[in-house]
Amino acid sequence: MTIIPTLEGGLRIDTEDASDWDLFRSLIADAGSFRVDLADRLGGLIDKDSGGEDWREYVVPDLREEFQDQLAQIYALIESAAHEAEGGAGPLWLRAEHGYAWYGSFNQARLALNEKHQFQLFKEDDSLVPTPEQLAAYARFRFYGKIQNELLQHVLR
Amino acid sequence: MGGSTRTRRHNLTMADTETLTRTDQSVMSDVPWNVVVHDDPVNWHHYVVMVFMKVFSYDEKHATRLADHVHTLDRAIVWTGDREKAELYVQQLQMHQLRTTLEKSS
Repeated sequence: MTIIPTLEGGLRIDTEDASDWDLFRSLIADAGSFRVDLADRLGGLIDKDSGGEDWREYVVPDLREEFQDQLAQIYALIESAAHEAEGGAGPLWLRAEHGYAWYGSFNQARLALNEKHQFQLFKEDDSLVPTPEQLAAYARFRFYGKIQNELLQHVLR
Repeated sequence: MGGSTRTRRHNLTMADTETLTRTDQSVMSDVPWNVVVHDDPVNWHHYVVMVFMKVFSYDEKHATRLADHVHTLDRAIVWTGDREKAELYVQQLQMHQLRTTLEKSS
């Protein structure tokens, strides 16, 4: 897989085979794997004295809708590109107008993975041995982070 | 900043036929509110800088200094002012997935 900035201010990712498309599909699955959904987690930070009840009633639904819309948009873009490539080698275009939706979706996935696996604990304690599932999750976490960095450098400026 | 007056009406039904209307007036002081961003292990520093520039129109130097504070002190007050505007900023920052809270300025 190669990632190339485009002249139009986006990115083009050239996939090599079906496993690359599976990796992008895992983005959607990972982003949806929060134990407590992201909107509720963020809304829960507002305490009662600061109007937490109203926040949960009026703001959290908007946050949830925003995060779900991001994922729905990115899911459609991935599936459309995979279909065009017939599931094999082909380009995935991350256009500038979708930059925040892409970044936000990768962020949701990384937040969810970190919530589940607490990767920082492995850095703090060398005696902890990650399971194969945790290693695979960490590989995806880093992959999503790499594309986010490309988006920050070339798209979200 | 001056104070604002809030009027509340309570319609209290007394038995079946009598209705008592009471009016309270209280002076709400315009205490400033802080918008506080908390550190998390996922959001990239550069992204936090970019969001501060986008939401508050801060220049890069100021936004970077605030993002540094978030990271090194675990939290930073990124804006202080009237409550309505503070709520709007908190909502915008949460839309960008930053851990953000609202608190009365001491």
